[in-house]
Amino acid sequence: MIKVENVVRNYHAGETVVRALRGVSLEILKGEFVSIAGPSGSGKTTLLNLIGCIDQMDGGEISIKDEVISTMKKKEKTNFRRINLGFIFQTYNLIPVLTAYENVAFVLSLLNLPEKEVNDRTMAILKEVGLEGMEHRRPSRLSGGQQQRVAIARALVKNPEIILADEPTANLDSETGKEILDLMKEMNEKHKTTFIFSTHDSMVMDYASRLVMLHDGQIFSDKRR
Amino acid sequence: MKFLISLAFKNLTRYKRRTLITAGAIAVGLMMYIFIDSMLMGAEIESVRNLKWYETASARILNEEYWENRHQKPLDISIKNPDKIIRKLEENGIMATKRMTFSGDLILNSDDFGEDGNLPVSVTAIDPERDSDVFEFGSTLMDGRFLESGEDGVLIGSWFAEDIGAKVGYWITFVGRGNAGYVAMDLEIVGILNCPNPNVNRTLLMMPIATADEYLAMDGAATEINVALPENADVDSDVIRIQELLNGDNLTVMSWKAMAADYLALAEAKRGGSGMILFLIFIIAAVGISNTMLMAIFERIKELGMMRSLGMSDGKILLAFMIEGAGIGIIGSVVGVLLGIIANFILINVGIDYSFILRDMDIGYRIQAIFRGVWNPGTMIKAAILSVLFSTLFAVVPTFRAIRTDIPACLRHQ
Ligand SMILES: Nc1ncnc2c1ncn2[C@@H]1O[C@H](COP(=O)(O)OP(=O)(O)OP(=O)(O)O)[C@@H](O)[C@H]1O
Ligand SMILES: [Mg+2]
Repeated sequence: MIKVENVVRNYHAGETVVRALRGVSLEILKGEFVSIAGPSGSGKTTLLNLIGCIDQMDGGEISIKDEVISTMKKKEKTNFRRINLGFIFQTYNLIPVLTAYENVAFVLSLLNLPEKEVNDRTMAILKEVGLEGMEHRRPSRLSGGQQQRVAIARALVKNPEIILADEPTANLDSETGKEILDLMKEMNEKHKTTFIFSTHDSMVMDYASRLVMLHDGQIFSDKRR
Repeated sequence: MKFLISLAFKNLTRYKRRTLITAGAIAVGLMMYIFIDSMLMGAEIESVRNLKWYETASARILNEEYWENRHQKPLDISIKNPDKIIRKLEENGIMATKRMTFSGDLILNSDDFGEDGNLPVSVTAIDPERDSDVFEFGSTLMDGRFLESGEDGVLIGSWFAEDIGAKVGYWITFVGRGNAGYVAMDLEIVGILNCPNPNVNRTLLMMPIATADEYLAMDGAATEINVALPENADVDSDVIRIQELLNGDNLTVMSWKAMAADYLALAEAKRGGSGMILFLIFIIAAVGISNTMLMAIFERIKELGMMRSLGMSDGKILLAFMIEGAGIGIIGSVVGVLLGIIANFILINVGIDYSFILRDMDIGYRIQAIFRGVWNPGTMIKAAILSVLFSTLFAVVPTFRAIRTDIPACLRHQ
């Protein structure tokens, strides 16, 4: 479903050129639970950003659901993301003035769905991620783990094909991290959503059904289990 | 949209202080605008009234050549048979009164004034029986009594009286040049007028026209005939009508607008002053809103990256921040208009006493001391709408800056 072909991404920092990705090729199937792992600076975030259509590659090609990303215009990319992609961030990135419910409903409001449907789907997904009864709390009254659950609900609520998560557990203690990974795995199996998450934590890698190791902007190993 | 509005207002409460300071600045600017506009407008209305009541009347009939020579106050460029014209106007339902103005020297006698002295003055000779049909001097009497026809009496403006130390019962001597050469008139001050028009009150000397006629050998002539027209009459068409009634006779009719052209130009210029204040509000809104929004956007840059990742379009993001700008503008406008109403209420009921300036200085307005405002809802609505509009527009620039930043950079931001 996702085809990454010989992708190159260079950053220009003054005179020097940082070659963040130097020819990465990868195919990810629907419903996979993939971990992109590797040491700091190996290009994990860069790869996720490119698959997430929020960055531009300098070479190669990515296609998602047979749609070629590099030729898309800015607006088309925005629309594509709105419909097909969900994001989970290391720092949760919830809107602090909105409640858990509103943070999730926000995504559906972008899709112009009827109010009733927004309400039903939001309540259902919040229940699924284990936040029943906490719908009207603001992020400041939720723990880190609970905030990341809101973020997972936000990513899932529109039923995207793919969810991208850049270091989703890096800000959590290992116990809570495991709970979040369990939840992600559960959602992956239940909704058949493709999950791609990056990490440099070996405990997190253990959860993946497929482990892609990056090193210096290149794929070092790629194992399914 | 509903969601964006609710988000915008929640975000405004997130930075309460900053929102309130920016909105407060807009509110104060708006209040100032409403206040000053009201004061200028009030001053204009009162000035026009005092101009017509004490200076120009609604219109004036003059000898054709008089206006260009008016500064010499010539007695020989006159209206020969004013009473006939007044009768004719009256037959056509128009009230009018004749006057004669002339200049000369006032001799002050040490018996009354403590020391001898003389100063150039101009005298207005009026018809005591008819003057109040057109002018409003009758109600301005502060001391003594009004003039009686044919007496050797004079009325004096209260500021003029104050300046020369004149009192009711004092005698003055006027020396001037009449049609039969130099004459001197001894006149008794019979009353002091407190005229609300400072230009008049500062210089006014008023005597009966019959007395002046005799001293100056005018043979019944007058230098002007002043005409009263209804408050809301179309002066220009009435002037044409009167001109037609006069047909020929070397006479011309001037409206108060033509006579007060200098004043009207000045009032126009002062109105430009309130435009400056509107411009000031514009600057406050521009700087305040841009800055506030810039800070808000900078602090929320990561959030913005998240929203854009999730597929929120640039247009919607722009809209969201414009609504926030509008929100600040609305708060500022509502508070500003309320403050403006309070300030204006005080201005209308108490007024501002500018007598300390106006007593010794001519600033153009025909107001003696107290400036009062007027209600002008149009100004308030206009200013409020403009404030909201400015505030909305000035959110655009910083938002564009944020939208131009690429999404990974937004997300990486700490
Ligand atoms: N905007 C940028 N400008 C310049 N260099 C960059 C930029 N973003 C990333 N890089 C460089 O590209 C390389 C890959 O970065 P990337 O963020 O993808 O690594 P990562 O694997 O996500 O690392 P980490 O584990 O620290 O998050 C690094 O050498 C990094 O310094
Ligand atoms: Mg990274």
